[in-house]
Amino acid sequence: MESFIGLEIHIHLATETKLFCGCRARFGDEPNTNVCPVCLGYPGTLPVANQQALFLGYVVARALNCELSPRTVFERKNYFYPDLPKNYQISQYEHPIGRNGFIMVPLPGGEVRKVRIHDAHLEEDAGKMIHAGDMSLIDYNRAGYPLMEIVTEPDLKTGEEAEAFLIHFQRVIRYLKVSDGNMEEGSMRCDANVSVNFPGKGLGTKVEIKNLNSSRFVKKALNFEIQRQIGVLKQGGTIRQETRLWNENRDLTEVMRTKEMANDYRYFPEPDMPPFEPDPVFLEKVEKAQTELPDRKKARFVNDYRISEESAEFLIASRYVADYFEEVVQIGIEPALVASWLSGDVQKLLNRHGLTLDTSPMSARRLGQLLRLLNEERIHGKIAKKLAELVFEEDRDPEIIMREKGLEQIVDFDVLRGFIKNVADEYPAVIHSIKNGDERQRGFLIGKIMEKSQGRAHPQKLQKLFDDFLSEVTA
Amino acid sequence: MKKNWKVRPEDKDYQAFLLETNKKLGAFLSFSFNEAMTGDGEFQGIPLAVKDNIAVKNQPLTCASKLLENLVSPYDATVVSRLKDKGAVVIGKTNLDEFGMGSSNQDSALAETFNPWDPLVVPGGSSGGSAAAVAAGMVPLAIGTDTGGSVRQPAMFTGVFGFKPTYGVVSRYGLTAYASSLEVPGFIARSVEWIKLALELTAGADPHDQTTTSDVLAEVRPIKKIGYLKVDDGLSPVMAAAYREHIEAWKDLGYVLMPVDIPALEYAVPAYYTIATAEASANLARFTGIRYGVRPDYAQNPQELVKKARTAGFGREVKRRILLGTYVLRSGFQDQYYHRAQKIRTIIRGDFNRVFEKVDILLMPVYPTQAFPRGESGLSHLQQKLADKFTVGANLTGIPAISIPAGVRDGLPLGFQLLAPALHDRDLIQMAQLWESKTSIPAPPNYPPRWED
Ligand SMILES: [Zn+2]
Repeated sequence: MESFIGLEIHIHLATETKLFCGCRARFGDEPNTNVCPVCLGYPGTLPVANQQALFLGYVVARALNCELSPRTVFERKNYFYPDLPKNYQISQYEHPIGRNGFIMVPLPGGEVRKVRIHDAHLEEDAGKMIHAGDMSLIDYNRAGYPLMEIVTEPDLKTGEEAEAFLIHFQRVIRYLKVSDGNMEEGSMRCDANVSVNFPGKGLGTKVEIKNLNSSRFVKKALNFEIQRQIGVLKQGGTIRQETRLWNENRDLTEVMRTKEMANDYRYFPEPDMPPFEPDPVFLEKVEKAQTELPDRKKARFVNDYRISEESAEFLIASRYVADYFEEVVQIGIEPALVASWLSGDVQKLLNRHGLTLDTSPMSARRLGQLLRLLNEERIHGKIAKKLAELVFEEDRDPEIIMREKGLEQIVDFDVLRGFIKNVADEYPAVIHSIKNGDERQRGFLIGKIMEKSQGRAHPQKLQKLFDDFLSEVTA
Repeated sequence: MKKNWKVRPEDKDYQAFLLETNKKLGAFLSFSFNEAMTGDGEFQGIPLAVKDNIAVKNQPLTCASKLLENLVSPYDATVVSRLKDKGAVVIGKTNLDEFGMGSSNQDSALAETFNPWDPLVVPGGSSGGSAAAVAAGMVPLAIGTDTGGSVRQPAMFTGVFGFKPTYGVVSRYGLTAYASSLEVPGFIARSVEWIKLALELTAGADPHDQTTTSDVLAEVRPIKKIGYLKVDDGLSPVMAAAYREHIEAWKDLGYVLMPVDIPALEYAVPAYYTIATAEASANLARFTGIRYGVRPDYAQNPQELVKKARTAGFGREVKRRILLGTYVLRSGFQDQYYHRAQKIRTIIRGDFNRVFEKVDILLMPVYPTQAFPRGESGLSHLQQKLADKFTVGANLTGIPAISIPAGVRDGLPLGFQLLAPALHDRDLIQMAQLWESKTSIPAPPNYPPRWED
């Protein structure tokens, strides 16, 4: 059996205000506080298209390699729903911002698949209905929030592929800084359509799956649905064209509505807004907002910085981390060292403090400073780790902390000789046995000398001076 | 401009006059005598009547519908705020056919409005309340909306001037939408000076309405040639005779009068009602009683609530138009109805453009008859729609038009309309003022003019 999956992804665009009015586009406020006559659908109000949303829309469509519309048109999609204030959604239909695009997606197993984009269009979000006892309440804060819908062609085959697509897609939109793409908070939502058929027979009957609120659900729901359809076909049955809902409690899909119950949306062009025709200046800005996308960045990191695939994958997962990495490398630190610190010690400290890199006291400049101190042998590895901890605790530059706390390595021969002499005086018997060839005691004495220096003695220099000392004593 | 203002909104005698007159005419649905003056300028202290489908902050916005009987507007329409800024005071809200759907004011769900000339005939519609208020001297100026003739026809029925600006010149923000691509705010007055002033003060791009144009109104041109629409039949005998006389009158004023044809006008009414109802079916979907308006006491679920509210709240004509609009927009049928109507609209636009290549101004009837009788002996809903033939052209093409009073016959006013190319609104104002200066504008017998020199 062959299976075909297409995705419809909605992302909230990161605009200051809603798509058609001046209300703040913000989550989690007191219900019905970010509302006005326009987004509540009061009689006489008119929509005014948010230029920032149009811009971000074009940025996304361009990044997905779409043909950009020279004249994009809003249309009314008519259906009654209590949380939809006007009972039509202003969306796009005949002339979306972008169409016929594609995105290269790394799939599990190493294949990079070209997934075609049918279209990318702008529309407004609805409010949120809450049922409380025998009442229904509606919060319109979300009504009019700018949404971008991206519709793919059915180029994915399994739940795992769909999950990989979503993770990659999420990275892309975060790289573009157009949306935080957070599925848990609903700023990225996903519906899917699935069909199954006998090999070589092409697409089967399409079933739409809704309510896929995390990439994990997407995988589970799609794999369940593919197995369900295969089961039906193998028993000689036929698939009904319908919309199903993923039930996360029962781990299965359930019929939501059949084709006969489908709405006729009666699309027609929005008479309240003229079509938007981007001018060359606008399109140039769209071009400038394009950024190196994660897959490209990863290849460049491996190639230019000679770091492992694994390290590169870790770094490019977030644009912030990738940019941070390059900033530290710019300071003149060995890329592999930066990468290992970022994925190792810094990550451990972030986890311990419950922070992310962009909110942590360890700025790129500070990490650069710390690693430079290490490179210049002004501190050694153990002190560097300790210093990193102190940067997190004190939110100050590592060099300042090092000076204040006297953590700088001791390289002065006379000072080091003084430590050696002191310890030798305390343990004459041990010196004697080492002289007689008992090398096992050597480590013990070095440890004691290190202790005397409060861990600051330069280890190699200390070894060297200790050897000199021993030979002197013997002579 | 110098006017000898005889009354002011805060004047108690004036308020008493309004209440008294309104008992007879039902022109206003509500008064706001405590409305404070908030601006300063040309309209200092001038009372303004506003059709009750236009938003005025803290005043009712019923649209003459039971569904919105309790709605108070939280904001001002742009056309209102721009006049308020110049000192105008909105004295009250006037009656209309529910949501602007009708041409007699008999389709108001809230009140009856009578024609000041004769209580047995309709005042026209849908801006019938605004026209009656002006004709009776209750206010010097009223704002209406013109979707398919809703300013011009009642102005003609009541013997005053009614002006429809070029689409996009005066903002629609705050006009309860019936047919968004067709309608505009319009002005009704007994003296053209009021209309001129209102147009100059309200015209101009509005950040709240993206369909307003940044193009400015054209300067007045020298007018020489007037084309008049050849009308072979369809006019009442009285109207046909008056039309011929009216054409002669313009000749006597020294203009060259040329007959013109607009063949596509034959299809204007079906195209108009297809587009208007299609847009209305979406525009009126927002009225559910959930966020505002009259809500049923109880419902099993939100869907039932919406159904109950709309069933009880909308009148028959409104329901008929919503159904028609829903029908013409069905998928698979749009080519046959909605897209076809848009094609006709393009053809009509072409016809008008060709006419304006030959003449400066176009003269046409407003309506086939004078104000028709109330009730059964008047026109049916279908006859009323067919009679919109002469007015809907300006709405389908977006061009400006003004209806001008042209005498009285059988105790009722007569009137015709002048049309100009888009943005040539000032030509029409100038022509109407010229007409005003050459003829006497009669007043209804019991309502002497109050606001003019
Ligand atoms: Zn808002």
